[in-house]
Amino acid sequence: MKADAVRGHLDGLLLAVLEQGPLHGYAIITAVRERSGGVLDLRTGTIYPALNRLERVGLLGSDWDAVGERRRRAYHLTDAGRASLAEERSSWREFTAAIGSVLDPAGHVRPAT
Amino acid sequence: MRSRRKAVAAVPESVPESVGESGADPVARYAAALDGALHGPRAAKARLVEEVRGGFEDTVAAYEDEGLRREEALQHALDEFSSPDDLAPSCQRELTVAQARHTARSVVRTAPFLAGAWLLVDTAREPAHPAHQAAQLLAVHLAAAACLAVFAAAIALAVTGSLVRRAGTPQWLPKAMAWTGTAASVCTAAAALTLAITSLMSADWVIVAGAGALAAASHALVAGSARACRRCARLPIAEPAGIARLG
Repeated sequence: MKADAVRGHLDGLLLAVLEQGPLHGYAIITAVRERSGGVLDLRTGTIYPALNRLERVGLLGSDWDAVGERRRRAYHLTDAGRASLAEERSSWREFTAAIGSVLDPAGHVRPAT
Repeated sequence: MRSRRKAVAAVPESVPESVGESGADPVARYAAALDGALHGPRAAKARLVEEVRGGFEDTVAAYEDEGLRREEALQHALDEFSSPDDLAPSCQRELTVAQARHTARSVVRTAPFLAGAWLLVDTAREPAHPAHQAAQLLAVHLAAAACLAVFAAAIALAVTGSLVRRAGTPQWLPKAMAWTGTAASVCTAAAALTLAITSLMSADWVIVAGAGALAAASHALVAGSARACRRCARLPIAEPAGIARLG
């Protein structure tokens, strides 16, 4: 699989790992890696501007947590973020079903419309 | 799950002096270099740099937990994050939008000042001399142009905020906002100057001077932010790359 195949799904990945509860940036990267069985490795530095953008458009909220002498920003899903994640999931299922029905017509049952 | 150790194996063992040298803390140096490469609203920039620095420290700590020496852990963290210069364009993208929003808010905040200036000019008695009338009219028109900028700024705030959640921010928007702010700044400065001169010849000089002061206050609100926005709009930006590698 090429990295291009998952380009454009960064927002969905970030929203999905925050569904269970608040996480800070590094924990989000770890969660994506674990949930993908080690297949997806987010580019570490660029995740922070992406999280900032999702917060700006109201899909995430955040709070500073004190960790010893340091502070970490923990992000959580907003209601709008949950709704957006549901949309993202739905469109991903439609997309994979459509691609699957073309690439593997024998093994793929097209969902009833 | 793929452990960090697998990624470590692919990286050369040599640790450049850039991260291994003694003296200043390399993490602090990385954060300072990133801070120097970025431009935008002070609070937004400080927050982003602090987050990246925290993530960098977390990554170093994770490598150290796997048994690497501090210098090796720093080098591997640097490989993951890429250099501050390489990382800056994706961070700058968000800061440029933040600066555009800051400028838009500054322009919107001038609305009450401009409305006040307009009302004051409206209540002042008509100047007797045609030149004075023309000057007062010019001031009113400049204030009207600034009001158009307020309207444009309100649209920019909506487009970059929660009203448009999933649509990306148009690339031209920060530049457009920078020049909208600049136009508002120039108009309010010219209006303030015109009203100040007119007040010297006006029967209601206190009212006209008050209107000029409000226009000057509007200029003060916008000028600095518009300048910063023009600088941000010139900087290179990049879409966050997202996926570093697929296993």
